[in-house]
Amino acid sequence: MEELDGVGAASTIQKLESLLLVAVPRDLTDRDVLRLRRGVLESVRRYRSRWVLLDFSRVDICDSFFGRFIQSTARMAGLMGSEVIISGLQDAVIETMVELGMTLPNIHAVLDLDDALALSREQEQQDGGMPAPGVEPLESWEDEVVVASPFTNLSEV
Amino acid sequence: MANTPLNQVRFTISNVVDVVKARRRGLVVATEMGLHPAEANKIAVVISELGRNIEQYAGEGVITLTVYDKYVEIIAEDQGPGIPDVARVLAGGYTTSQGMGLGISGSKRLMDEFEIQSVVGKGTTIRALKRLR
Repeated sequence: MEELDGVGAASTIQKLESLLLVAVPRDLTDRDVLRLRRGVLESVRRYRSRWVLLDFSRVDICDSFFGRFIQSTARMAGLMGSEVIISGLQDAVIETMVELGMTLPNIHAVLDLDDALALSREQEQQDGGMPAPGVEPLESWEDEVVVASPFTNLSEV
Repeated sequence: MANTPLNQVRFTISNVVDVVKARRRGLVVATEMGLHPAEANKIAVVISELGRNIEQYAGEGVITLTVYDKYVEIIAEDQGPGIPDVARVLAGGYTTSQGMGLGISGSKRLMDEFEIQSVVGKGTTIRALKRLR
């Protein structure tokens, strides 16, 4: 029998700049999914996160219950002033979700973490360049992920 | 021998972990049998939706996944309360608990053939078929 890595397992929830990064495990039971949603909301409040990034790159089966989880998490986080981004959806999962009739209104979707960071930074600049509430500028610089840039490589050569 | 099963697995469903195990195993079996990842994914999602239905409404039941040369068949059987209005369930948007109201109607969309036989007080049998292209 295949190993089930999600059943009863804790999800990884981390703060990254103004993002709350949620690594969604695969093989979650419906009960685990509800627990995860509550964990996300608690963390949004604790870290005053402006953005919730649901990283789906490990998830290879997404049924209607999971779809409802994404929708409801976005609506609930929205009531706390936070927006939801989903990233890392696999091609097969996307095909099934669309054919199943799942719709995810008011949710940003990006390919990966880099794009999610770019989206959140761009949005915050448009909002006046202010850091997200509760994020101290110094701390956010220290936590910043360095995105590989061709210019960096050129200067090192 | 078009009707000789190439592979068959049976899943007993009586709790939420059984549903997760069944859909995972279904994905693995469908992938091992050479289905395209997107087709294998749909098989896994249909097992999940039908398994959840069994767990929520009947308490227990059995799902059988059979792979043939030209198609994959999923049969979900339970001796639960039955579905009073099958047409409404197939039309979608009918939800008595959780889910997007897409469980059955969405599964029907993912498959090529989908039929429900249900007798109130006796149980339900759902047969779903996906042709392999």
